[in-house]
Amino acid sequence: MSTATVEQRLTEIWETPKGLWGWLTTVDHKELGKRYIFTAIVVLLVGGVEALIMRLQLAQPHESLLTPEMYDQIFTMHGMTMIFWYASPILTGFSVFLIPLLIGARDMAYPRLNAFTYWSYLASAILLYVAPCMGQAPHAGWFAYTPYTLSQFSPARGMDFYVFSLIFLTISTTGGAINFITTILRHRAPGMSISKMPLLCYSTGTISVAVLFSLPALTADCVFLYLDRHWGTHFFTLAGGGVELMWQQLFWFFGHPWVYIIFIPALGMISMMVPTFARRPIVGYPYIAIATVLTGVVGFSVWLHHMFAVGMSDMVMSFFSAGSMLVSIFTIIQIFAWVATFWKGKIVLTTSMLYVLGGIVTLVIGGLSGVYTGIIPVDWQVHDTYFVVAHIHYVLMGGNVFPVFAGIYYWFPKMTGKMLNEKAGKWSFWISFIGFNVGFFPMHLLGFAGMPRRIYTYVAATGQGPMNMFVTVGAFVFGIGILISILNFLICMKKGKIAGKNPWNASTLEWDTDSPPAPYATVHIPTVVSRDPLWDDHDESYDPDDIRIYDNGRQTLSTTWIDAEPFAIAQMPSESFAPLLLAITLFVFFIALTFDLMWLALSFFVVSFFVCCYWMWQRPEPEPKPHPKEYAS
Amino acid sequence: MSTTAGALADVGRGIVERDRDRGVLAVWMVIFTESSLFIALFSAYFLLGNDKQRWTINEPPKLGYALALLVILVASSFVLHWGEKQVKKGKYLKARVIMAVTFVMGLIFLGLQSYEYLDHWRHLDPVSNSYGSIFYTITTFHAAHVIVGLLVILFVLFLPHNSDSPDSPYRPYHVASLYWHFVDVVWIFVVLILYVIPNGMIYAH
Repeated sequence: MSTATVEQRLTEIWETPKGLWGWLTTVDHKELGKRYIFTAIVVLLVGGVEALIMRLQLAQPHESLLTPEMYDQIFTMHGMTMIFWYASPILTGFSVFLIPLLIGARDMAYPRLNAFTYWSYLASAILLYVAPCMGQAPHAGWFAYTPYTLSQFSPARGMDFYVFSLIFLTISTTGGAINFITTILRHRAPGMSISKMPLLCYSTGTISVAVLFSLPALTADCVFLYLDRHWGTHFFTLAGGGVELMWQQLFWFFGHPWVYIIFIPALGMISMMVPTFARRPIVGYPYIAIATVLTGVVGFSVWLHHMFAVGMSDMVMSFFSAGSMLVSIFTIIQIFAWVATFWKGKIVLTTSMLYVLGGIVTLVIGGLSGVYTGIIPVDWQVHDTYFVVAHIHYVLMGGNVFPVFAGIYYWFPKMTGKMLNEKAGKWSFWISFIGFNVGFFPMHLLGFAGMPRRIYTYVAATGQGPMNMFVTVGAFVFGIGILISILNFLICMKKGKIAGKNPWNASTLEWDTDSPPAPYATVHIPTVVSRDPLWDDHDESYDPDDIRIYDNGRQTLSTTWIDAEPFAIAQMPSESFAPLLLAITLFVFFIALTFDLMWLALSFFVVSFFVCCYWMWQRPEPEPKPHPKEYAS
Repeated sequence: MSTTAGALADVGRGIVERDRDRGVLAVWMVIFTESSLFIALFSAYFLLGNDKQRWTINEPPKLGYALALLVILVASSFVLHWGEKQVKKGKYLKARVIMAVTFVMGLIFLGLQSYEYLDHWRHLDPVSNSYGSIFYTITTFHAAHVIVGLLVILFVLFLPHNSDSPDSPYRPYHVASLYWHFVDVVWIFVVLILYVIPNGMIYAH
């Protein structure tokens, strides 16, 4: 069998059919990963526009661009958009695209679930944005504290959209987490033992477990809120024996792990880029891996630091203050490991590397202001002021946005086959980095000066006008910097230079595929002997007897979870319309609940059961046969 | 590295078996995340009762119903497990009949629970106070899981091949019974926390 025919045959097996039907039914992780990233960037731009509208309103004292109610809705939508619908899904997108390639698998463990999680992510975003189209967006901040969110204070449908779009998103995120865990633990290339797998697998794996454990608290909380609002129960109403603080407890039990969920994978991406641009293997691999896992674990014992101001016993607060200090150590371990890698290596200052460095600097500043707020007396001083706004933005820019842009500049060649323009990229970086710091650093000072967050305007007598104008200008400069990159992506998608297999001369397996990768990734499932497979002497695709081609239907290898020894062949499903259909059905189900149409909701619950049956119904599949070559040898 | 390229030439040779447990892993993770959901609900139960003098102690829910329901559900789990053994022996028709029996037992559970609700509703409803709210929420969440479990069983009941042969990449019977056992275990905790402990507290006072 000549190589050309093998490639043709594998393409025939793995390729998504052309046309609209193929586009709607695809289960290809590369396609879905790109869609995730594209959708999340659109969401980022929408959230960014909301931020700029807020900054216009706050540029000077006594402005009247927005009414107070509109301002409330916009800051809530900005928070929800960025924290729930941008920050986590974009990292999911990178992981969906990269992880199968990184570990030498041909797709995610559950390809149809993967399609479903994308479609339900998109559908939940649409559900959320129905609300502002009706002029009834949620208006109580992204953490929606009771009792303000109960029906007597928030009678509009905004909070119902909040509840059901979040529960819908939770389903999507949980499905993604399940998919990542199985993929990482079951489909790594032979030889890629758990001590050799790329660090992105550690970070995505860690947050996936955190997702499974923490998200149900949000679901329960949202259900309670819905029941209180619509069915008159007494979870949060003092009069009926409810506990208002329960919302905060359950929300932050979910909410603080969520903070890690939206930045640990980005740190994993940094750990992938740092060795490439320092031209040496990463320093302290086991320490980074262990620190990543421990951040996920200890991240569950810090949630009360969001609630220091509500009044609790000193003992409880001290415990959570100590937990908050402890968790910062694990991030610092990773940062020191990167710095040591730079120290020992030879830095190549590409755009991607600039974004990595900018991200690390920003994250350190955000981490330090986080240590401030972990100290109880300081927290009381700056609670609910712009200091906290500055802190969260430094953490999420340094821990998410800058690494994500670094990741786009780094993996764009792999995703599209084209290089991005480095010169435009560097302009974009410097403008956005300077704009960000001009815009957000003064917020620390505004916070110390006592400017509360979430106010729609302020009086001139506070003297905070000039500083706020400064912040607004910075925010717009930051926006221009981001726009330059977006234009760069759009233009270079068509006109960029051809990238080739491994433009950065990187060490991990995804660079062993074509750019963009063939539908089947590699002809032979690779074997791995070290942490930097492309930098060692071993030939990953060495397979003289053509054992690991698996051209008998969609197949990939299943390997043991620690040593990655192959033990079975996994049969992968083909394209299906069911995932999209289920997402649509659930969309109708949730929108019916939002509008109290109980019979419609009930009937679409039944419909979704039948869609699940259609999805799971077993169709005949080809009998597995050993590869012909195996008989010969 | 001590491993030479030649030594890895044989990797994967002779592996023809299908990976049948991938789906089972997903079900375990669903069970894990759903357990977290019930942990959140039980936490809410304790949190709401935390600062109350008379949390459920006046009128604890009747133990009799809960224990009868417990017997039905645990028995149905054993029945389904017996059915799974028949699948392994290749007695597919028998396994299918046993699954149908489990389904009926699940329906009986739901019927009896509705009857319990009717009785209980006279003293307490979800809007009377926070105890009523959390009591009915937890038990209804469990009932919703019973319904989902029954739907899964119904699906597997009509599946043309629920065989457990090594050729099949799926293990539908096993998956359905895993989920059913989970629903069963949750009910054990519900009975313990919502029924047994409050009834025991009466004697403690």
